[in-house]
Amino acid sequence: MAEYNSEYAVEMRHISKVYPNGVAANQDVDLCVRKGEIHALMGENGAGKSTLMKMLFGLEQPTSGEIIVNGEKVNLTSPTVAIAHGIGMVHQHFMLVPSLTVAENMVLGMVPKKNGVLIDYAKAVEITKEYSEKFNLEVDPDAKVMDIPVGMKQKVEILKALVRGAKILILDEPTAVLTTQETSELFKELVNLKKQGYTIIFISHKLNEIMQITDRLSVLRGGKFMGVRETKDVTPQEISRLMVGRDVVLTVEKDQAKPTDTVLSVRDLEYVNEYGKTMVNKLSFDVRKGEILGIAGVEGNGQKELVDILFQFATAGGGSVTVNGENILGLNQAQIREKGVALIPEDRMLYGIAGDASIEENLISDRCGKKELNSGLMFNMKKIHQMSKQLIEDYIILCKSAEQKVGMLSGGNIQKVVVAREFSSNPQLIIADQPTRGIDVGATEFIRKKLVELSRSGIAVLLISADLNEVMELSDSLIVMHGGRIAGYFEDASKLDDEMMGEYMLGLKRQSEEEIRRVCHE
Amino acid sequence: MSKKASLRFSILRGFVAILISLFIASILIFISAEGGSFGEKLSSTGEALVYLIVRPILNGKGAFSVKSLTDILACMIPTIFTGLATCVMFSANQFNLGAEGGIMLGAFVSALVAIYVPMGTGIHMVVAVLAGAVSVAVMMLIPGILKAKLDVSEMVCSLMLNYVVMYAIKFMMNTYFADKTKGQVQSLPFEKTALVPQLINNGSKLTWGFILALIFVALTALFMYRTRWGYAIRMIGINRDFAKYSGMKVAAIIVASQVIGGVLAGLGGGVEMLGRNEFYSWSALPGYGWTGITIACIAGNNPILVPLAAFFIAYLDKGCNLMATYCGIPAQLIDIIQAVIFLFFAAEQFLSGYRQKLVVRSAQQELREKEGQK
Repeated sequence: MAEYNSEYAVEMRHISKVYPNGVAANQDVDLCVRKGEIHALMGENGAGKSTLMKMLFGLEQPTSGEIIVNGEKVNLTSPTVAIAHGIGMVHQHFMLVPSLTVAENMVLGMVPKKNGVLIDYAKAVEITKEYSEKFNLEVDPDAKVMDIPVGMKQKVEILKALVRGAKILILDEPTAVLTTQETSELFKELVNLKKQGYTIIFISHKLNEIMQITDRLSVLRGGKFMGVRETKDVTPQEISRLMVGRDVVLTVEKDQAKPTDTVLSVRDLEYVNEYGKTMVNKLSFDVRKGEILGIAGVEGNGQKELVDILFQFATAGGGSVTVNGENILGLNQAQIREKGVALIPEDRMLYGIAGDASIEENLISDRCGKKELNSGLMFNMKKIHQMSKQLIEDYIILCKSAEQKVGMLSGGNIQKVVVAREFSSNPQLIIADQPTRGIDVGATEFIRKKLVELSRSGIAVLLISADLNEVMELSDSLIVMHGGRIAGYFEDASKLDDEMMGEYMLGLKRQSEEEIRRVCHE
Repeated sequence: MSKKASLRFSILRGFVAILISLFIASILIFISAEGGSFGEKLSSTGEALVYLIVRPILNGKGAFSVKSLTDILACMIPTIFTGLATCVMFSANQFNLGAEGGIMLGAFVSALVAIYVPMGTGIHMVVAVLAGAVSVAVMMLIPGILKAKLDVSEMVCSLMLNYVVMYAIKFMMNTYFADKTKGQVQSLPFEKTALVPQLINNGSKLTWGFILALIFVALTALFMYRTRWGYAIRMIGINRDFAKYSGMKVAAIIVASQVIGGVLAGLGGGVEMLGRNEFYSWSALPGYGWTGITIACIAGNNPILVPLAAFFIAYLDKGCNLMATYCGIPAQLIDIIQAVIFLFFAAEQFLSGYRQKLVVRSAQQELREKEGQK
């Protein structure tokens, strides 16, 4: 036991995690958290933060490496074991039963009993009140969870962990759902907990929050450990350098774009989500024929909402969107497609395909009513076979036949099915949302080349990607989004460097309104 | 796995499911069989199984009989229609259980037209049956529109609607349409012009409705697999978000799938009523709709397989009745056997381990072939 440093509440040493599907989420990661500190775990989406914390909470087991809690080497096989070692986790998506009261949620799984059988509700309320006062976390024990605001739900989650004896609290992006007031309230409570000797691990990628309340911070990038720093000694620029960067630079050959007329025009677009948070804030930009406009940014800064609005999966709160001068807000998907808009959706399994249907059936979904594929009331099967055969050839979709189920293909080939359909729909505007996420290098290269090819043939392309390499290499000009707004517009994406991008992505820098306004080519 | 291999696997899977359920049935028969000693019970179980498995197509003397076969075919007429109706609705992922009330409503409306709206021979039957179909289409608008507009569960809605329909018909029969000269609640006799003609005059009441049912099997299959509407119905059933993203009119198609289901159930009601009855006397739900759900499930929502599944159920039904009559086995047993078969078909994971092995084997084989080519 002596070999371990008792200064630390948590030591995770040389942790690696490989998922059964072959994804290496963590590679030789070290995380040491001192007793009684607020320790930030930072990194972009997909950097491996959640995986690391899942292992600390016993939800996943490390492939190799060791975990030491309070100087004792532990084997965290399940959350129950983790809780027994004083580790509690507050998930980003709350794990509460909405139809039960706060007090009932609090004692779930450890219900106080009357006479050994009946639930002692009064006792549950008493426990809730006791902890609520002790930690100065105000909740209403008798309110049903579905009726209370988000901020209070989070307090219930924190109290739940504390009631179970947690001394080490993991908070997974706790401020993502909170308003500004709720956030500052939470911070006060966290500082209070720290004073009482609790250790807090705080997952976030919001720089200002980290600077405000944490003592130290560790950074992950691409599953690897990038370093640990004292918060007071570190500059935001350094954090941004650690977090954002490209490991391998894949280059795509492309000649100079010659943009002409504006195709997509977005003006003063606004969107407020269900929690009342403004996700898209007065957003304006144009995409022209023959250019690829990239949107970079850390996920959760309004990109998803923007795409949802453009394809009518969400309703804009204000502003206008036109394609070739015609309004598309409020139209249905068929009408939007009719205007020449094609979309490669972010979640290909949810929107892009019907997994149990054949490749052929997936290729005709947007055009099944078109004249050329029908003869009278019936499908023209000959034409349909011909078209799908052609697309499978053109897009090099590896399959046994057009009748194979799409769900049986590999990720890259599934995405090629989506891309084949969208690119062949004779579009004027292609919205490509994370077009190569999680697919093999070959398919990635193929799709990127096609995007460049199509843009040079006079199609407007809007590319949204969290992959910095992709968005910087592919885009002709580029927008960085932060907090639902444009933080910067760069007319020539090839003149950008990673460091500068990082500063805009994390909100350290922002261009003036005039500079940003240049993205509207009026 | 190729399409052929998939089909082979499905057939094998169905066969195994039937074998297992017959095995369980044998145990149940054994328990309820007559006889004191083990040996006696065993021999009466054997006898009962003969009645269940072979007797349905034999005559009293134990030889093959056309009459026995046509009896079974005649029983399939309404359940093919309700099976098709359920296939269409379930394909759209709409768990509408209204085929039961639908077939009753279709039968009732067809009966009224057959009694009270005199017309020429032939045309009268067609109009009567179509009237039944239209009435059920209208009925299915209720769960369809409620689902599409307000996201009301079509399952609960259609299930309850069955009883609304049944009691409404009972009320109307009792109050307005009963033939007061008869001892039971029944309507006036149908006009002869409205009757569905018999296919074979051997007392089986196998009507032209059977041919019509087979025609509709083909039409439904063509509709589902060879038209844009059927295609849209299937895509919505597989992935509704995908259908919406692709630009399909999801709400309209959800309603349409249930209306089409209604038309099919209504046709079945009319054809059954005017083919095998002389007056209307149904006072409770006939059960054809429930059987239709079992059939659609066994057929895996594939219209082409509906007649096979319907034949299987009708055969089993007859076998159980014979068993009950001649061997003293309780007739309720059929429900248990049907339930067991249904469970094995519905259990998607049943034999999935074996399926996985087949998939792996075929993948490996392909790899070898590829390497062989090199």
